[in-house]
Amino acid sequence: MASSPSQLSPTEIAERLRAQLGKDVLASGDVHGHAVVTLAPARLQEAAGLLRDDPDLAFDFFDFLTAVDFTPKGRGFEVVIHLYSTRHNHHVRLKIECDADDPHCPTLSELWPGANWFEREAWELFGIVFDGHRHLVKLVLPEQFVGHPLRKDFVLMSREAKPWPGAVEGEEIEE
Amino acid sequence: MPQPVKFILNWGRRYSLWVMNFGLACCAIELIATSTSKHDFIRLGVIPFAHGPRQADMLVVAGTLTDKMAPALKRVYDQIPDPKYVISFGSCSNCGGPYWDSYSVTKGVDQIVPVDVYVPGCPPRPEALLHGIIKLQEKIAKEDIREKWSGKLTQPAVTN
Repeated sequence: MASSPSQLSPTEIAERLRAQLGKDVLASGDVHGHAVVTLAPARLQEAAGLLRDDPDLAFDFFDFLTAVDFTPKGRGFEVVIHLYSTRHNHHVRLKIECDADDPHCPTLSELWPGANWFEREAWELFGIVFDGHRHLVKLVLPEQFVGHPLRKDFVLMSREAKPWPGAVEGEEIEE
Repeated sequence: MPQPVKFILNWGRRYSLWVMNFGLACCAIELIATSTSKHDFIRLGVIPFAHGPRQADMLVVAGTLTDKMAPALKRVYDQIPDPKYVISFGSCSNCGGPYWDSYSVTKGVDQIVPVDVYVPGCPPRPEALLHGIIKLQEKIAKEDIREKWSGKLTQPAVTN
């Protein structure tokens, strides 16, 4: 990727967040040239506001939001938010850890309208409640659908009748 | 019905199949390819594409049917005037295909509408659809329309 003069490095992006939030930046790293920052949920909206409005950061594009179910590993859910700056051509990935039994995450739909549908999708597929979202109703699933199908504990009827014939997520593959 | 009249009616039906394109996924591309000049199913009397279900004789379900889409398929099928025929094109519409364990994919369109011909493949080549159309025409040639309308479902054909 061609680096523009105003592009910030992953370390610099993490430092900007750390300067604002202090120890509420729980972890930060550099994955494939993108900053990956784990934040405390309570200060997500504040951090997102900084990322969007600071002229050096200027994350004007909400790329995607998704979630990962880590409950089989005893960790609960993780919301992953990917932001991109079309002005500076840099990326940041924000991670929010949620409770396994009652997952909540603050909404970003007021800051980026593009977050609206991603949050509805994560809400219906993972059951993560986005606090402050104005219209949290089903988006892609049929209205009568019960359950959150991307959760690891969701029961697939076909697999109850016939178990998955191959290895599950590479765990049983021998070296 | 006298045998010559039956023959004429079936002959007319089998070579004038206006097709309703119900393309849902990548199989739809193969269906469209079959309609274009290289494979050209017009030479078999299949006319692409009906302007709506009310002008159609045949429904080709090409692609992955989801549970959310299923009511729309049923509605399109109901809007096609009799006599009507259904070709299930591709593994997804036959049985769910690679999405056999999915939470959202209907495991076969025959759960929603009666199917006359199943064309296997993922996706099937245009030649496979041509073969399926010939199978359907053979079936129509042997058809007794009174029996068809009596509600007794005829045996579906499978191409291979």
